Amino acid sequence: MESRPALQDLKICDLMWVIAGPAATRMLADYGATVVRIESPTRMDTARTAGPYHGNKPEAESSAVWNNYNAGKLGITLDLSIPKARDVVLDLVRWADVVTDSFVPGAMQSWRLDYESLREVKPDLIMLSTCLMGQTGPLASFAGYGNLAAAITGFYSLCGWPDRPPAGPFGAYTDYISPRFIAVAILAALEYKRRTGRGQYIDLSQAESALHFLAPALLDWSANERVWGQVGNHDAEHAPHGVYPTADDDRWVAIACRDDHQWHRLCALMARPDLVGDNRFRSSDDRQRNRAELDALISDWTRQRNRHEIEEVLQAQGIPASAVQDSEDCIRDRQLLHRGHFVELSHTTLRKTTVESSRLHLSRTQARVDRAAPTLGEHSHYVLETVLGYDEERISELAMAGALG
Amino acid sequence: MLSPYRVLDLTNERGMLCGQILADLGADVLKVEPPGGSLARRVPPFFGDQPDPERSLFWWAYNRNKRSITLDLESDRGRELFHQLVSRADFLIESEDPGILARRALGYPDLSALNTGLIYVSITPFGQTGPKAHYAASDITLVASSGVLHQTGDEDRAPIRLSLPQSFLHASADAAVGALIALHERLRSRRGQHVDVSAQQSTSIATQSGILAAAIGSPGWQRLAGGIKLGPLEVRSVWKVRDGYVALTVLFGQGLGPFTARLMKYLFEEGACTVEMRDRDWIGYGELLLSGREPVASFEELNRVIAGFLATRSKHELLRASVERNLLIAPIATCDEVSASPQLAARDYWSEVEHPELRRTFRYPGPFARFSASAISYRRRPPLVGEHNHDIYVEDLHVPADELSQLQRERIV
Repeated sequence: MESRPALQDLKICDLMWVIAGPAATRMLADYGATVVRIESPTRMDTARTAGPYHGNKPEAESSAVWNNYNAGKLGITLDLSIPKARDVVLDLVRWADVVTDSFVPGAMQSWRLDYESLREVKPDLIMLSTCLMGQTGPLASFAGYGNLAAAITGFYSLCGWPDRPPAGPFGAYTDYISPRFIAVAILAALEYKRRTGRGQYIDLSQAESALHFLAPALLDWSANERVWGQVGNHDAEHAPHGVYPTADDDRWVAIACRDDHQWHRLCALMARPDLVGDNRFRSSDDRQRNRAELDALISDWTRQRNRHEIEEVLQAQGIPASAVQDSEDCIRDRQLLHRGHFVELSHTTLRKTTVESSRLHLSRTQARVDRAAPTLGEHSHYVLETVLGYDEERISELAMAGALG
Repeated sequence: MLSPYRVLDLTNERGMLCGQILADLGADVLKVEPPGGSLARRVPPFFGDQPDPERSLFWWAYNRNKRSITLDLESDRGRELFHQLVSRADFLIESEDPGILARRALGYPDLSALNTGLIYVSITPFGQTGPKAHYAASDITLVASSGVLHQTGDEDRAPIRLSLPQSFLHASADAAVGALIALHERLRSRRGQHVDVSAQQSTSIATQSGILAAAIGSPGWQRLAGGIKLGPLEVRSVWKVRDGYVALTVLFGQGLGPFTARLMKYLFEEGACTVEMRDRDWIGYGELLLSGREPVASFEELNRVIAGFLATRSKHELLRASVERNLLIAPIATCDEVSASPQLAARDYWSEVEHPELRRTFRYPGPFARFSASAISYRRRPPLVGEHNHDIYVEDLHVPADELSQLQRERIV
């Protein structure tokens, strides 16, 4: 095992907030990047106001969203409306390899912290700005969250029952897609700079990157003028395919038979060998056509049983099945535990917290998730003194000027 | 950006996005397909609804900028050629179930012995090891196992998935990050490593940390079509308007309260609410509701007022108001509407990619990011089966042309 983290030499001055941006730099922090998160002392990061909360108490330090996406980072508060605070940002820019922001286009200009201004300080700067719709265009100033981007890019229209209004994916869906594209863009720009010496500016629209998760449907429109709609849990290729009720109230199991063999084994498990020869369900096409009857038959069987038991019995026969797991199920899930998905960390005010580990496993340079997300301004002094090398006098001047909030 | 690097992409329908991200960034990505073509080419939909390996739109969606060679990895000569490719490759990406490639002596230990710098990326349902590593899996069962399905859908019906499979896209995009982290590290150590990605874990990001609720003493999210339940409150996010639906979140507190205050000012100016309603403290309102000092009926009344107003407006005018007034309203668009978006047109987002053999162009989603110095370009349409066999075997590996013909006759290539 390598003792040095993979990204040990990478330094990021991070002005991103809420979910998408912080979730991206969290991935890099897991592998050793030093990420200095700049927070406003007056305008609280929306992530801090998003549940679930520790002990169900909505407080600035108790949000799982904040704590999960900012673990391993250093936190400093800076009031960017104060000129001395801007000088601190400029020093962090000089220190950093990469600067990131996720404000509404124009905000960084208003603080004279846009790419052109920062390039004067650091000509080979790599800077990435991410926002909902991109830095230009008529909707550039459309500020908001990933649920809105998910609506405007088509995700809602592919999630729902045919006879109901769209249900939409849960929450700020595009915020869960774009962190990967942000992290990849940063790493690729670093590689380009290593070879050419050139920095650059990256404009990453959350909507534009997320559309790659809808590419087959968008191509179907371009090629065939077909518009995908709401089809519930129906699948174009496979049947049975769905989410079925179980013995417990509002507890469900997902089942998908990917071929005739799996269907025949399911019939055997349900003690209904007669269904194998039933003309209504003979081929996948037949089963698609008679889906309502098929789903009713399966539901009659699943409703008598526990969701985990169904998962195990079907998996023993090689049929894709999973309990629809809630958080309680997930924190006991043997596979997630085997992968070390949940990590307990000590925390300044909560005493301890639980965050998700890295979703990636690297064989030689594993992720290190060993420091909780910063409390508001937790590392301000450390960043000024140790990262930037300021003396006590300069730090008190900043505090007196209100630059630290 | 990644032009010096070669990627061998062995993925089936589960992992193709990973190689495409690297290809978009400039890497030389070779799709290594079995003779006759990858099974992923059989995934619908098809252009003209004609099932054909060169017409799968799913295949097209995730193989742009790659080259294709065919090779029978079951044969000795095929493996020998493959070893030559591996010895000069930087990355290998695969998405077979754990153990499948190891059985053919193509696992990470086998190939890293040939090339210690190789970065070997595996994308699987549950990861390489563990009690569920050999579980049968499908998109819907993975979304169920990740905690996401539980949170999604109408409360009075079964939980629901996004009908376009997402779990392996989450995993494949994560895998691309892992590949580049390993590359960054390799510059120092000169050694590759095995990047092991689990779709269950990758998909769990879409719980928005809801997966942690039970670990921190919180009840977690209950599904409510497009919205969330907060204690006694049902916070909707989908609203009927004159010509369809919009997404709008009406919430309170420091972060979201100011948006609600601006929304109510808009309603007031349009004659849709009272001055008292406009002037409420929308930041503090949520706490009053949750502590019971404000009755739930008051929140329901607020929802009725907003719903009544929205029903009289169009998606377009609500989006315009949202931009002008800094509100949280977005139209719920279908794919044809997305394709016609003035915003995406103004940014010249779409790429018209020519498929000369079909004598037409198709509109692909454009670059995932705009790089000022090293722009992503779409250099190649998705490759035909084995389109680059000659380039790779003859020109790169110096296999004599007549031997290549022989290999093709033997169906090794």
